[in-house]
Amino acid sequence: MSDDAHILTTDKLLMQFGGVTAVDNVDFSLKEGELRCLLGPNGAGKSTFFKCLTGQLTPTAGTVRFRGEDVTGWNTHDIVNLGVGIKTQVPNLFNGISVYENIRMAARRKHLKPMAREKAEAMMEKCGVAHLAKREVGLLAHGQRQLVELAMVLAEEPSLVLLDEPAAGMTGDERDRLADLVLETARSAAVIVVEHDMAFIRRIAKFVTVFNRGAIFREAMIDEILSDRAVQEIYLGKQADVAA
Amino acid sequence: MDYALIIVIEMLRAISWLVLLASGLAIIFGMMRVINFAHGEFLMLGGYITIMSHNAGVNLWIAMLILAPLCVGVFGVLVERFIIRFLYGRILDSLLATWGLSLLMVGGVTLLFGNTVQGVSTPLGGVSVGEYQLPVYNFVLIGFAALLMLSIWAVLKFTKAGLIARATMQNPDMAETLGIRTTWVYMATFGIGSAVTGLAGGLLAPLTGVVPSMGVNFVGQSFITVITGGASMIAGTLSASTLLGSISQGMTFLTGPVYGDAALLLTALILLRVLPQGITGRIFKKSL
Amino acid sequence: MEKNLAKDIGFWVMLGIGLAVMFIGPMVWGLFEIMQITQYVVLSVYALSLAYIWGFGGILSFGQAAFFGLGAYTFAVASINIGETTLPFALSFILPALFGAALGYFMFYGRLSDVYLGVVTMVVTLIFWKLINHTAGPEYSIGAARLGGFNGIPSIPILNVPGDAGAWLDPAQMFQVFMGILIIVYLCLRLIIASDFGRVSVGIRENETRASLLGYDIRRHKVIVFAIGSGIAGMSGAMWATYQTFIDPNAFSMEMSAKALVWVMAGGVGTLAGPILAVILLQWLSLKLGTMHILNNYFILGAILMGLVLLLPRGLLPSVRMLAERLWHMGRQKMEENAASRKATSDV
Repeated sequence: MSDDAHILTTDKLLMQFGGVTAVDNVDFSLKEGELRCLLGPNGAGKSTFFKCLTGQLTPTAGTVRFRGEDVTGWNTHDIVNLGVGIKTQVPNLFNGISVYENIRMAARRKHLKPMAREKAEAMMEKCGVAHLAKREVGLLAHGQRQLVELAMVLAEEPSLVLLDEPAAGMTGDERDRLADLVLETARSAAVIVVEHDMAFIRRIAKFVTVFNRGAIFREAMIDEILSDRAVQEIYLGKQADVAA
Repeated sequence: MDYALIIVIEMLRAISWLVLLASGLAIIFGMMRVINFAHGEFLMLGGYITIMSHNAGVNLWIAMLILAPLCVGVFGVLVERFIIRFLYGRILDSLLATWGLSLLMVGGVTLLFGNTVQGVSTPLGGVSVGEYQLPVYNFVLIGFAALLMLSIWAVLKFTKAGLIARATMQNPDMAETLGIRTTWVYMATFGIGSAVTGLAGGLLAPLTGVVPSMGVNFVGQSFITVITGGASMIAGTLSASTLLGSISQGMTFLTGPVYGDAALLLTALILLRVLPQGITGRIFKKSL
Repeated sequence: MEKNLAKDIGFWVMLGIGLAVMFIGPMVWGLFEIMQITQYVVLSVYALSLAYIWGFGGILSFGQAAFFGLGAYTFAVASINIGETTLPFALSFILPALFGAALGYFMFYGRLSDVYLGVVTMVVTLIFWKLINHTAGPEYSIGAARLGGFNGIPSIPILNVPGDAGAWLDPAQMFQVFMGILIIVYLCLRLIIASDFGRVSVGIRENETRASLLGYDIRRHKVIVFAIGSGIAGMSGAMWATYQTFIDPNAFSMEMSAKALVWVMAGGVGTLAGPILAVILLQWLSLKLGTMHILNNYFILGAILMGLVLLLPRGLLPSVRMLAERLWHMGRQKMEENAASRKATSDV
């Protein structure tokens, strides 16, 4: 299989901590411009897999390729500079600085000062945080922080966007806005979303990869996955069977 | 052959020296992540108590092994209650406050005892090893260092208090929910760590004499040993002391004390570069 | 936080005060005061070096004295050998900066952080201190300059007018030149901090992960910040050397490193003016206490330090600022209440 149309692939990716295998020989591929959701019960290895993609962890074995280039074990900033936008599970923001300044710093990576200012303002509008522009990020609610972080990610105009639990802690309205943003982003970039929030998943998902015990359990369209007995089982355990 | 024996004993002595210097600091750092910048002055205090009380007629061994640890331990508890307690989690602030404390102690001791070096001769004389003479006191140091490490390990591993201490070290919040009064644990730890330091100060006093400003020399070595050792109290202190002590003593044998000191520091630098979380940050990770 | 530098009143006030002191000082003060204040100026530059790397770069160094001493000794050795002071003075910035870059590379590319980083910087200073202390014999010399070991290096040339080796600066002139240097250092640091580079450094201090997620190589950034701080510290060391015409290994002492920490902490981490204030206050205090002989100098200083940490943990400047803000708000509230009550009564 050629890597031509694939923006991201992993080949036998293995991540072990001491005696525990968190990611078990995963072969994964994502096409350019594709939107993929990563699902699976707690401890399935989704976040660990995610961290191997972002450079936060160096895999024990196997490779990660971005547009054919081997980026396994690269530093995070080098991966980001290839055009990858990353939103971590726990929001990472500059807490003592304003929302506007946070986003402007992100925009500044790609634009000169005047353009960066415009871009930042546009991003704030888009993500619905313009009314918080001067507020100190550290004082915001969790859901708002997530939106700010998303704005920062998008401000750098990445071609691959990696989102780890972006909907966590959001209100219904915020979640709707997030879903719209993700769908819009997916029109021009490839997106991987790791999520637990089923309501959110249903709004955005098309093709889904389900993890279980560190390996890919199933890959299919969202409707198939939702009605798949085996998938339900791994989420609920065998009790579902007994109850039925 | 005799010379080889001498080298081994001297190495052990150098390692023991570091163990004694660093143990008190390691106990406190290992438990509470507090850096006591006045550590050198605690040592100094132990030394002064030993020598002053001995000069006043107290038996040297009682002064060294009972009086010094007792007084410095109590002092430690007071320091914890009145100063350290407010600074948990604030590494920088605890650093600066304890640095202030160290200045205070130097000034205080100078006021009480003046600025000149006071000494006492090393007890127990010498012993012959082949055609060489060794101070018997070396073995006292080695013995006490070993005893110290063993006691700490035994207490941590086999006693209820030790279990409580380990629980609090690993997860203070969890310990609280189990009914452990972490404030008491911290107070006791600081007190015990100070007592150990006081003991060390007493033991080392006959070798160096005491003067109010002596703390400065020891702070560096203690810090380096503890930080290079990493988070584990015993494994960290032992591994760091062994490595640093033997290398520096080895260098001293070959080239003299100046380069011996430099070798210790350089080794620490390299170690930290290779193992940025200290030795027990990577190796022996879960050990005591 | 992202105030435009030109609009920052505090900045202009500092600049104004600095220039005023520089030009009016020698006219108002006698020789003794001038020499004392020169001390404050030199130590302020030293304090600024740590204030920058710590407050605006997130690098807590326990060994700033390493560069102070390095700069001092570089100046001493170079000026004794060359006979003129201009090049040595430049070297006293360059050499420590280069060493700082090398050490920074060693530390930051090794992913050293917090306490461990602090200890490495402390160890480096200790190494310098120990080695220099043992260079007492005549065999330890660089060119015509004997390192002197614990005796130090005496008869260090006084700063001369560039190009004219015989034209030494008198105390008043030295004071003005040093004041000028302090002002320039302050200005440059403010400019750096307001620049894109500076903002990223502050970002790194706030959240390293976020900075690298934006694509910044935080290691490279830290090395540059650290090198700048090292150069400034080195330069202050040279200033000290030529002011005293004498330098000894105490320049590398733990006490010297600790003083920098105290000044920045007491003045307020994250400010530049605060540490300068702290230098003046604490040095003045030391001097006064030294002449009073009531209690021991160390004793009082230690008590003050502990008091500061326990009572004013954010440092002098931020605490004063907070107090001022609170008073301002209280005052405004009072005014509004008065206006409202007046309006209510007038409605009758």
